[in-house]
Parts: sequence; C-alpha cells; structure tokens
Amino acid sequence: MSEIRAIADSFDAILQSKNVDKYTYTLVQSEKQELNIEGTSFKLMRTVFNNFGSLKVFHGARMGSVSGNDISEEGLAKLADDGIAAAESAEEDPCHDFAPDQGKEVFRQGVYEPDMDRFFERTKEFLDAVEKEYPKIRIMMGGASFDRSHWISRNTNGTEFEDFSGQYEFMVEFSAVDGERTTGMNGCGFCTKDLDTPFIDMCDVRKQLEDTQNSLDTKSVEGKFEGTVIMTPSCVTQFLYMLMSNYIGNNVIIDGTSQWLDKVGEKVADEKLTVALKPFDERIVVGERGTQDGFRTEDVTIFDHGVLKTHMLNLYASNKTGRPMIKNTGSDVVVEPGDSALEDIIASVDHGLLMGSFSGGQPGTNGEFSGVAKNSFLIENGKVTDAVMETMVNGNLGSIFADIRAISKEQLCDGASVVPYIAFNGIVISGK
Amino acid sequence: MLQDVLQSKCALFADGVQTVLRGQENRSRRVVIMKGNLVQNARSESKGVSARVNRDGKFGFASVAEYTPEAAEKVIKAATDNALLLGRHSDSKTALPASFGTGTIPLYGQIVDVEQKLIIELCRTIDDHIAKTYPDLASRTVVYTEDSLDKIIYTSDAFNGHIVSPRCYVYVMMSAETKDGVPVEMFKALGGSGSFYDHFTNPETLYPQIEELYKRLMDKKEGVYAEAGYKTVVLGGMMGGMLAHEAVGHTVEADLVRGGSVAGPNLGKRVASDLVTMVDFAHTYDGKPADLPVYLDDEGTKAEDAVLIKDGILVGYMNDRESAAEYGMTPVGNARGWNFSDEPLIRMRNTCILPGKNTVEELIASVDDGYYLIDSGNGQADLTGEFMFGVTCGYEIKNGKLGRALLDTTVSGVAFDMLKTVDMASDKVEWSGSGFCGKKQPMAVSMGGPHLRCKIMIGGR
Repeated sequence: MSEIRAIADSFDAILQSKNVDKYTYTLVQSEKQELNIEGTSFKLMRTVFNNFGSLKVFHGARMGSVSGNDISEEGLAKLADDGIAAAESAEEDPCHDFAPDQGKEVFRQGVYEPDMDRFFERTKEFLDAVEKEYPKIRIMMGGASFDRSHWISRNTNGTEFEDFSGQYEFMVEFSAVDGERTTGMNGCGFCTKDLDTPFIDMCDVRKQLEDTQNSLDTKSVEGKFEGTVIMTPSCVTQFLYMLMSNYIGNNVIIDGTSQWLDKVGEKVADEKLTVALKPFDERIVVGERGTQDGFRTEDVTIFDHGVLKTHMLNLYASNKTGRPMIKNTGSDVVVEPGDSALEDIIASVDHGLLMGSFSGGQPGTNGEFSGVAKNSFLIENGKVTDAVMETMVNGNLGSIFADIRAISKEQLCDGASVVPYIAFNGIVISGK
Repeated sequence: MLQDVLQSKCALFADGVQTVLRGQENRSRRVVIMKGNLVQNARSESKGVSARVNRDGKFGFASVAEYTPEAAEKVIKAATDNALLLGRHSDSKTALPASFGTGTIPLYGQIVDVEQKLIIELCRTIDDHIAKTYPDLASRTVVYTEDSLDKIIYTSDAFNGHIVSPRCYVYVMMSAETKDGVPVEMFKALGGSGSFYDHFTNPETLYPQIEELYKRLMDKKEGVYAEAGYKTVVLGGMMGGMLAHEAVGHTVEADLVRGGSVAGPNLGKRVASDLVTMVDFAHTYDGKPADLPVYLDDEGTKAEDAVLIKDGILVGYMNDRESAAEYGMTPVGNARGWNFSDEPLIRMRNTCILPGKNTVEELIASVDDGYYLIDSGNGQADLTGEFMFGVTCGYEIKNGKLGRALLDTTVSGVAFDMLKTVDMASDKVEWSGSGFCGKKQPMAVSMGGPHLRCKIMIGGR
C-alpha cells in the first residue's frame, strides 16, 4: 500500500490531459483481516484488499460526483470521463465548491502494523472467558478485525492530505439461552490501538454480558406513566445522532423544516449538556482528519451548557443558506460527564427505566419518537429490578434534551466516542 | 455487464474442500433534488473477485478489488491459506455439506445503463410537477436511486451461473405544516426491478401515485395521535410485508436460530392462526417474476421457494448449505453477499404472507374501534420475535368506517403471539422491493403481504 502517491500523480496527469481545471479527489487503499466468530469458535477468516477513488469534477458552476474501486490507469481514466459527463449533465449551482488551499499535511493514527498472533490470542481468550464465566450466553455473530487504510486527497486549490491509519475492531452480538427461554439480542464492541487489556475487560463488555444473562426473566410494564429514563451511553449516542440529524443537520436547514432554524446562540437544551465533535481527542483511536469538502477537520462544540453553538452544515449547505459551516463531518462525539455517580442517579428514581437501546423509527422533523425499549430494566424505588419486554417509550427529542435530570460521572469510551449515562425526564413509558 | 474471465481458474480448485469463486460488479446511481436544488449527482461502480474455501467446516475467504484471472488465482490461494490458518487454531472438524446438484443456471435479464443527464431530467420534471401542482408544501425532495448486482459464480460441487439483479426507484418525499407549525412528512417509492427504461420513460404515469401521496399528507396534516394500547387493527399490505420480513423472517434465518432465536424450539409447532402461510419466494410469484428474482445464490445453490409457515405451523428455516445439513433441511438459495468483498450470509429474498379470501373493505367494515395502518417507514425485530414498525400513514376506524388520519406512531408485539390473533386476510398481496435489509452487510430485499386484521400494541403520546 505504498504507491498511492504515484497513482495520485498519474490521476492528476489524466485529469489535466482532459482539460479539467477544477476538481477534488480522494484515493484509498485499504486492507481488512477479519476473524468471524460463531458460538465460541472461529468460523471464517476473511481477507479483503480494496481500493476506492472518489472524484468531484466542476464544469463552471456544474458539479458531478463519481466513485469506484478501480484505480488502475484505465480505471482512473474512466472515472475522469464519468466525472466530466456527470458535471456536464448537471445544472448550474455555484453553491457546490470545496475548501481553499489548506496546505499539505501527512496524518498517522492508530496502529499500522498489527500483531495478528496476539489479536488471535486475545479473541480466543475472550471466547474461553465467555464459555466459562457466562455459560448461558450464546454468541450469534462476532468479528475481530484489523483494518488499515492509506489515503490521499488532493484538489486544484493546492490542498494535499495523506493519511496512514489502522485499528483493531471487536464486535459481538449475543443472546442468553436457558432451555426454551431466550433473551433478545444484545451486543457490544470497541476499537483500540493496543492489545494490552483482555477484551472481556474492555469498555462495557462484562456489563453487557451480565445484563443479558439477567434478562431471561422479563416483565411487561403495567399501564402507562410518564417517568425518568436513564439511557446507557450507547443509547445516548443513538438519541444524540437522531437529535442532530433532525434539528441541525444539512437537510433540515436547507429545506427550512428544522425546529431550531434560528436558535443558534440560544439555550435549547438543559444546561448540564455539553457535546462536542472531537476527532483529535486522545481517546478517539482514528478520528476524521479531512472533511469531504477538503477542509482540515477541527474539533467543534455543538452544545455548550445547553446553548446551541452551531448548526452542522457542510460547505454546500452553508453556501445555500448563508449560515456558517463547520469543519467536521459529524462523528467522534464526546459528551462531557456530569457530577453524579450512576448508582446515585438510579437511587434517585422512583419509577422509570434503565434503557440499553431503542428500537424505533427515525423521528420526523417534529422530533416525536416512539419505539420499543430494548435491553432495558425497570427501576423501582431507586433499584434496578426486572428486565422488561413489550415496553414502549415515546416523547419528543427536543423536549427530553431540555429536561435532563442528571448526567453520570462515568463515561464510556469505545474508541470512537466518549459518552456518559444520561437520565431524561418526561418520557412516556407504556406496557401491554 | 461482466465478461467471464474466471472459468479457466476452476482448475485450481483443490480436492477435499468446497470452493466458490465469484466475480462481481455493483453499480449505483443517485440524484437528489431537494426543494428545487440538485444536491446530489453521483455515480459509483465497484468490481472485484472473491473466493471462499470450506475445509473441514472452517471457512477461508479472500477478495481483491480487481476482476482479472490473476486476481482469481490470488484469492483462491489466500482463501485456502485462511481456511488452513483457522484449522490450526481448532481441533474440531465438520463434514462438508452434501451437494444438491451441479449444472449451469442460464442468465435471466440484463443491466441497461442510462446517461446521468436523463436521470437528472426525470427528477427535474417530477420536481417541477410537484412544485407547480402542490404549492402549499413546506418542502419536497425527489431522489432517484439505482443499484444493480452482476455476478459470475463458479463452484467445485454446485451450480455455476451468471446472474444480474438491477432495480431502480424514485422516492418522492413531501412535508407540510400542521396548523401549529409542526412539520409532518410522508414518502413513497415508485419503480421496481429492472432498469430506468422499464419504469421511467413517461413521468406522467407516476403522477396519480404522487397525487395520492399528497392527499394522504393533507389528511395527516390534520391528523391526531393514536391512543396508546392493545388495539384491533387492519394492517395494510406494506405492513403485512414488514411483518413477514422483520417479525418472522429474521427469526427463521438458520444462523439466528443457531444464535438462540425463538424459532428454534417452535419448529413443527403452531406459531400463527391457520390463516397464515408464509413463503420466501425465489424468483416467481403467482406465475410472474418476483420483485427481486434470485435464481442462484452465492454458494451455487439453485434457488427455489422456502416455505416457512404453513397454515399457522412453523415448517422450515432459511438456510445456507452448512445450516441445512445441521438442521436436516434442503438449502434453497438464501446465501447471498452484497459486495464482491462480502462473504455470503443467510438472507431473505421475496418474503411474503399469502393472501386470504376477504376484501379490504370487509376487513375495515369489521372493526368497531381500531386503526387502519397503511405504510411503514422502517421496522426492527429481535431473536425473541419482539418487533417494532414505524407507522407513517394510518387512519382511525370507527364503526367500520375510516376516521381521522394518524400522526407518526409505532406498533410493536411478539410475532408468534401476534400472528395467532390474525383472523381475516385480504385476497390481494402488495409488494415492496425498494428496501435494504441490514445484517452485517446491506442486502436488497423484497417483502409482501395482504391486508391482515389482528391485535397489536400501538404507541400513542
């Protein structure tokens, strides 16, 4: 994976020979080595060598976007021709553009040369530990993979970014089975740049296994009540992405349907909430380094003590609406911790839920959500009691983020985000 | 379309192992016009070759992003090495599954490309029509999306073949504001299996469906929240299809059965009322091509229908070759991979609950107090059969007649409990083939069902 710079030089020559005077592209070479797990044994070993090339061609104020995985000389010539044809077919829209010159920079992240023997050992050690310590757990599907990529991105304004990155990723999906009783599916995963810690002790792996094994006996909530729902970090992440997409993302700002169209600078959420996109945080294993618009990525604060600091607009949406853009595509979420221990937050709730995940549709732009509480437990008189089944939750995204009861001191770091538990008021919980 | 460069490499298949060599190209086309702005104008193609080797129940898989004889040689060797590597980490050995025949499956259909200019013109024409005809909308989006798979498959002990699977859709999305200024939305997918010229040569043929979408959105603008609780409902055909795919289909995929799904202990038992028969069709329904015809899967199994529930009794699972051997069943072509670099997994094809004898009008007239739930945005289900569908279009039913429209809501239940409450089914099936199913990899799937009267949990406010 070393010749990508020469391939890029060749691509520049092809584009220039076709008289394309404004373009931006990214070329990627990647490699995956993946160990698939089923039950407590290895099932399949998968090796993937892949390439990717994406190109935007500008023909005056017309833009065409093409991509493919053939980065041979012939493949790049075809990509260039397709890009030119797509641009010529497009309608004029001067809002399509890319970043001014960002200079030249090389990024190196994570681990580029893996220790596959050690990775095998850690995975086997995990499977042995599950078999011994969690006998009712049945692993349905899992994967331990090492992924690395080498990419280069250039544009005709002079920017050149080159990136070498790699990481170990581990993910398992499982249930608990005891005779004819079975639980719902649960899962956990993380990415890491080292193999110092046994996988079973990483992140919240043990807790997810324990919770699943404790979910064989379930109860349905009686009736309907408005209560407090403490969301686990992965559930918080799910709700945060729904909130950001529905209230401050490109589409809802361009089409004007956002409920927070003119709320930048105003307090829209509870003052306990501070959320940022932090690709340069040391806890993020491989963060974004260059945006799709060609900007060098920056850390961006979205909510600061409940105040909306910015919409999450790319360059096109910014040019289209006249509102500020951010130099970040929207991943690598870090939510600041609160000042309460999770145990104390649970103890303060008389009647509510500890919710592990939400199975529901993407809410509309009005923010109304409705779905099933999965991997969830009842909280009664300050204690976590039964696992629940056939229990629905509904509310409004904007309203619940404005009514946060507490945020935990504890944060969960899975290598791609850093998120605490959050207790939300005002969620309707209903049973059969 | 792909030219065959793989056949000569079958000589490299080793004895005593099962090998599949697959060349594949995926293409996609996408144009998005949002509120009159062309915000996306994209084409993408990816191509490569993969090999999978089964040695003593340990699978090696390898892929390279090149479609050449040299790449085929490279992946056969790498997949063989990977299978050997796994074998060194395990003492267990599993016998290779039996062969269910060899031969060559003929090519059905073709992939026809279309210039991006025509796609943009189509979307612009539809958008102009919507802007002019429905000026009171808060926003509108027109999306053209096309994806196609082109595969050449060679196997050591099963069927070979060249298969193609193109489909294209126009999604129309509209939003309006309620009197309180709250946005409500609705969308519809128009199109189907085949290429641009099969569906979109005359945009005016789409206008009646767009008109229907607009009228339903106007009803929804005045809509009310459903009353939460356990209700009698009439599920529309799209909802019936979602039920077939999400709530039941996933639980009877044999890899999920192995993972502990509720279908494991229920094989041979009653899981639904006797009105319910459910089939995963391979390529033909009611004498016509199904929405997403599958003639050969990625293990070289010739595709046939999989009967899953018959008259309310769970009678089968969907399998790959290995799971079929494990459960004593016959594989019928459910092992499919999305990209050239994806290993085949057990996936649904055209999954459907079969029709009954009543009319839709009879179903609605039979409900005193309940809901008519027409369309769903998405759905999810669990190993236990607990499911959830988002409802994007529905109406109250009062005294056998349709009432006010519903705002977005969700229904949920446990499949094998809920299916036992089905007491009427309509005589026609509605199909939807625009969807993707997510299970490690995406996969194009089709689902269908009749209108069903049943009891279900509905979420309110």
